[in-house]
Amino acid sequence: MGTALNTILMITVALLTTGVINRTRAILAGRKGVRFFNHVNGVALLLRKGSVYSTTTTSLFRIAPAVYLGAAVTAMLFIPVADLDPLISFEGDMICFAYTLALARAAIILAAMDTGSSFEGMGASREALYGALVEPALMIGFATLAMFCGYTSFADIFAREQSFDLHLTIVMLLTAYLFVKIAFVESGRVPVDDPRTHLELTMIHEVMCLDYSGIDLGLIHIAGWLKTACFSMIAADAVAAVCCFRWWFAAPLAVALTGLAVGIVESTQARNKLARNTTFIVTVTALAALIFFIGYLLQLDINI
Amino acid sequence: MFYLYLLLALALLTGALFIAPLRSKVWVAFTAVTAAAAAVAAPSISVLAGAPAKTLARIEGPLFGCEQMAVDSLSALFLLIIAVSGMATVLYSRGYLQGYLTQKSSAHISLHYVSLTILVLSMMMVVMSSGGFSFLLAWELMTIASFLLILFDAQRAEVLRAALTYLIMMHIGFVFLVAGFVDIYAACGSARFADLPACFATGRAIPLFLLFLAGFGMKAGLFPMHVWLPEAHPAAPSHVSAVMSGVMIKTGVYGVIRVAWEITDSAQIHTAGVIVLGAGIVTGLWGVLLAAVQNDVKRLLAYSSIENIGVIFIGLGIALLGRAAGNPAIAAPALCGALLHTANHSMFKSLLFFGAGNIYSKMHTTLLDRFGGVAKSMPVTAILFLVGTLAICALPPLNGFTSEFLIYFGMLDSVSDGSDTLCAAGGLMALALIGGIAMLAFTKLYGTVFLGSPRHHHVAEATEVDNCRIAAMAIPVAGIVAVGLLPQYALRMVSGIAEEFIPSAAQAVENDMAPALGRVSLAGWLLVLVIALIYTVKSRAQRNRTIAEGPTWGCGFTSPNIRMQYTGESFAEGLESIATSLTQNTVEGRAVGKSEIFPSAHNYNVRHKDRIDRLFAAWWMELLRLINKRIMRLRTGKINHYILFALLFLVAVFILSILNLI
Repeated sequence: MGTALNTILMITVALLTTGVINRTRAILAGRKGVRFFNHVNGVALLLRKGSVYSTTTTSLFRIAPAVYLGAAVTAMLFIPVADLDPLISFEGDMICFAYTLALARAAIILAAMDTGSSFEGMGASREALYGALVEPALMIGFATLAMFCGYTSFADIFAREQSFDLHLTIVMLLTAYLFVKIAFVESGRVPVDDPRTHLELTMIHEVMCLDYSGIDLGLIHIAGWLKTACFSMIAADAVAAVCCFRWWFAAPLAVALTGLAVGIVESTQARNKLARNTTFIVTVTALAALIFFIGYLLQLDINI
Repeated sequence: MFYLYLLLALALLTGALFIAPLRSKVWVAFTAVTAAAAAVAAPSISVLAGAPAKTLARIEGPLFGCEQMAVDSLSALFLLIIAVSGMATVLYSRGYLQGYLTQKSSAHISLHYVSLTILVLSMMMVVMSSGGFSFLLAWELMTIASFLLILFDAQRAEVLRAALTYLIMMHIGFVFLVAGFVDIYAACGSARFADLPACFATGRAIPLFLLFLAGFGMKAGLFPMHVWLPEAHPAAPSHVSAVMSGVMIKTGVYGVIRVAWEITDSAQIHTAGVIVLGAGIVTGLWGVLLAAVQNDVKRLLAYSSIENIGVIFIGLGIALLGRAAGNPAIAAPALCGALLHTANHSMFKSLLFFGAGNIYSKMHTTLLDRFGGVAKSMPVTAILFLVGTLAICALPPLNGFTSEFLIYFGMLDSVSDGSDTLCAAGGLMALALIGGIAMLAFTKLYGTVFLGSPRHHHVAEATEVDNCRIAAMAIPVAGIVAVGLLPQYALRMVSGIAEEFIPSAAQAVENDMAPALGRVSLAGWLLVLVIALIYTVKSRAQRNRTIAEGPTWGCGFTSPNIRMQYTGESFAEGLESIATSLTQNTVEGRAVGKSEIFPSAHNYNVRHKDRIDRLFAAWWMELLRLINKRIMRLRTGKINHYILFALLFLVAVFILSILNLI
């Protein structure tokens, strides 16, 4: 029962987040904005359409969206919503989570290379590089959680006794911040990438799907929502673990956290120049290492 | 007696191979390798299933005292790896050498097969020998055989150069090993690995360990001793690269495990662990970075072997640290991960080198940017190569993931238990970065070679290779999928070794690793199921819709052409731009200048060199050459001079003994 609710909540978070982002952006820009579920309608429309495939492509191009979405769905099943149990949970499941998402990335990169387009190759190259650079941040973020809680599975890490501990609070909040940052990178949002950009030369994630249409594009959009939901839920879990560890608190928090953060950043900040992106992502990794080190020192009970 | 039998067997084998008709030489070699594989497989499997170690032969060595050929659990694992890869390699060589049968003389082909068989046999001897003379003999036999194998295309200057580099470096490593064994002999009276604890106990454990690490690391390709790998692999025929990269360099790993696990003092184990972990991190990062920027398929694969050796050493380092802390929950998964990765790497690296051989034999180049769209002309190779690509990127649900999972598992346990936290965290970050960049390197390789449009008409006209080669590639693919989807059974293969090498590891295996791997397997199946489900639903939904085909979207540009495709060079450009201080390019020819409106034909060639190469072209090499030149003056070529030298030597010995100096 809890597991089913967990999965439903994850899907709901995935569906709502983009709506919140759009609404936040609209309000900050002084517009009324599109309907809340406009993005869902858009994808529903795509799912009903036919497709155009490039003659250059092989069958890998047609399988890749299924792999991309399949990996994202499987990754989603690892993530607990606060006190609920995820479908798959075992010691070391965080590694499985990270590498399942890596499979999704590999699929979409190869599909982009399959079209033989210079633009899509460009996007694939960037995605591969940024993915490689953000991977250590992800793993060391998980290691911080593992170090502080003594477990290596998401469900065990967050489900701990509720007692106020200053050190734990500091580390958990910092980790939550880190995962929101990683969510920016992984879901291709400003300042790393701009999903609404108008020039193929500056795109990263969007340019890899240029040749996808109809149902394939719909699947890719859904996978993107799920990926974002995973990271925002980890961040929300980290926050919930120190104040109120209940699913009815964590799920809305996940939507609000990423939705507001992305919305505000996208309305106030310009995207990076591409050359600055590597610096930005390496900074995220350095931040992750720093948080780990702070956690290490706090655990040693050194006064800092 | 043992050496007599050995000599007899080798003579018989050589005779049979030289006599056999040209086209059936491969089957003679295949029979020999299969027979050897069958002979070692039986004891290996029974030992891995839990039987005690078996002694196959006792040897009275001319040096270093009594030795034996024995199969214990560690040897058994390596024997199985060698047996399977050896058979696949010989099978593959049939198709690969088909084109050379008319070009090369019969003796040349015979020599190649003799070397190939001896290489497999000597590797088996290396992992069975208890140490000392028989070990060094087998080691040297392995070096010579692989040297001859690299020399197959000796008329090409770069092949000769690569083979000589290899031979020289291997002998430098050999000197370290001889020094190590002499040291044991001096301390204990015999030079077996089993004598090492007594020798380590005398107090010089770390220097002796470093000596062995240098000797074995030379073969394994540890940084900075890896420079022979990217030279030798592109020079050798593909099946030789496969067996060298997949199996032979692992004998270095085997040696390091043998030596490191004989250290008994926990402080010394800790030091050794830090050294091995550090070596692994540096090797892995260096290998993967250089792999990502290469523009030659086989050089890229060679650097990726260096990277995987780094990953294995990271696992071994963590296992040693866990052992020093007396914590089997850290040591067991890390050791099992390292061993499983050794086996896994032998599968996917053989597969990838076979794939590289397929495309080389059709297009006669290994430069990445000459290919493109090979998947259309060689679909089976493309599918098999894709499996290898995904496996080497450690993606679930294939085998590379299971072994890296175990290594990560050990590191996360180390972090969460608070022992050696910073070392483990360093290893964790390094492994994550290695994994990420490996994905960049291999998506670049696969994307440029197999996907997109053909950049050359040879590529478009190529046909699929013969079934023999496909069969040889199917062997590792079966292993990759089996280990990936059923890792809990693969764990049984290596858990026996962990239980033997780490006290009370059985509990960690039963309580932590086996359940976790069971769940990994479930997750893998679920992943496959979900993907299959989504694909089926999608295909069904598309059945009644308009599916159109058209050219790739050119972003508004109406006449895109094939040369505008993203090349491998440009794919890695982003990484290269942030790692400029670590890579070094040499450019031949001249690029098209910006002011050339109607550019003429240009020749432009980039070679990504290894900065470590400079170490071997530095002032001390010049000095060595000078000294050598002086010494060479003694070589006059006149017999009377040589007799004089012998006389002078005797007089010197006489005088020194009178003075009681010797």
